[in-house]
Amino acid sequence: MVATKSITLPARQAFLIAYSTGILWLRRNPSSLVFTAISPFSLLFVLFVISNGQYVQFAVAGSLVMALVGYGLALGQDISFYKTEYKIQDVFVASPVSPLTYMMGLALSELMFGLPALTALAALVVYFGASLFNIPLLVATILLLWSSMSAMGFFLSSHMLHMRNATQVISFVNVILAVLPPVFYPIANLPEQLQYLSYAVPTTHASLMLQHSMGLPVPAGWSLEFGYAVQIAYLVGFVTLAKTRAIWRET
Amino acid sequence: MLAIDADSLTKVYKGSSRAALNNVSIKVDSAKIFTLLGRNGAGKTTFVRMAATQLLPTSGSISVLGYDAVRQAKQVRQLISVVPQEGRPLRALTPWDHVYNWLQIRGEDKKQAREKTEAVLQKLELSEVRDRPAMNLSGGMKQKILVAMALAVDAQLLFLDEPTIGLDPVSRRQVWSAVKDWKAKGGSILLTTHYMDEAEMLSDYIAIIDRGSVVAEGTVRDLRKVIPQNTRIDVARDGLDIETLQSFGSVVDTGAGTLRVFTFESSIRELSELAIRRNLPFTVSPVTLDDVFVYLVGNIESNGGWSQRSQ
Repeated sequence: MVATKSITLPARQAFLIAYSTGILWLRRNPSSLVFTAISPFSLLFVLFVISNGQYVQFAVAGSLVMALVGYGLALGQDISFYKTEYKIQDVFVASPVSPLTYMMGLALSELMFGLPALTALAALVVYFGASLFNIPLLVATILLLWSSMSAMGFFLSSHMLHMRNATQVISFVNVILAVLPPVFYPIANLPEQLQYLSYAVPTTHASLMLQHSMGLPVPAGWSLEFGYAVQIAYLVGFVTLAKTRAIWRET
Repeated sequence: MLAIDADSLTKVYKGSSRAALNNVSIKVDSAKIFTLLGRNGAGKTTFVRMAATQLLPTSGSISVLGYDAVRQAKQVRQLISVVPQEGRPLRALTPWDHVYNWLQIRGEDKKQAREKTEAVLQKLELSEVRDRPAMNLSGGMKQKILVAMALAVDAQLLFLDEPTIGLDPVSRRQVWSAVKDWKAKGGSILLTTHYMDEAEMLSDYIAIIDRGSVVAEGTVRDLRKVIPQNTRIDVARDGLDIETLQSFGSVVDTGAGTLRVFTFESSIRELSELAIRRNLPFTVSPVTLDDVFVYLVGNIESNGGWSQRSQ
């Protein structure tokens, strides 16, 4: 009775979930784009004004990282909303849609909301010194961080039984990943011990990769390869966590 | 093959000392409508969610359409469709978006999805509002969107957890009709409801759950036999003493200025004449499922009402 499952079905399912929850929503509520696009520029604006433009490149890198963390983790809020308020996740659980496909679909949906801000911030990165040669690096950095943050958001929200808990935890993680580490400021501003600690945080590397692509000096001993390795390790870790430890069927 | 075969199914939620479902064994035949009746918190939704692979049991076993619902959830999920309790459609999406996209997500091609969406929206009288975002629809129409999504899918077993909650009487009948059509095509249905008329209208078999245990099961006809009498007479209580009425059978105070007498057909005439002589309004009807339900789970005797049960 059920239509034959093709190998492309999961990708199609993810796209349809993104289309339903992202594109259709935006088509009928275009103002949402404006609201979600503005917030990543708030710290950029403050830092630009305070530093008389001196820290603008750090601020651009930081804002892009913060936006990626925000849009990735926002998936967790969406999931929590669909699970506890709409109960629509129950319909997905009791269907052939896998949890990773569901996650991918909602992550793509969040990306739609963030596209204007991410495009503008990526354009600023290029404007402030990144060569065209560095665009693949820029895109890779964006994709790696967005993917790992989405997987993390999915994992965290699957353990939350209440919408309010999800919002609180995700706000907390946002600060831990996008405000405290050297995302908006040079890593050299931290005491040496904290510099080592901050290398364990994926957003530090994402920011350093962006700073590097804009021609800003990076710490001796840090390399793009190291940055990639850490980012990929986090991505694999969070996706594995989402696949094996996220709660899809309730216990 | 059984649609659902649950054996000694138990669920104790984390942090709770009481079992939400306690040692429940239920068999649901294929191509039948099986209804779970129970008060709020009786364990109906817990059972549905375990059968629909949304919740893991604490102990016991449950197979759905021949597959183990715990270990073979992937296979089960290919064959089922659900309407969750208190579900809501997405605000910005229209009824068409919900059903058409959902069918494609379930693997239908665009042509099939279009045809099935048109058919189910027409069946549930959602065609006129098919392009209106759910946020602009009434609560009943929103509920019908979820029902349409579930019914449109080409599944073998349908889980309907209070599917007609909030629907007006006409819409409820539309849903009933669609559910009967589903069954006529050979589909199986597990239904939960608070509406006794719905259960009577649709069910082939009913299990009444109370505090996590099945307290009675059978066809509507079987369950009616739980109450020894077959006739119900409601009579205004003004000036009537309960002792007089008890000579005809069991008496319940409905709490609305009316006494309900459960008796046999042979007493209808005498009781009617008694009411007419005293100029009291009265109604006569067969014993309903509602009476059986209240009798089994309602704790009527604690209100001093159900004399038969305390005898």
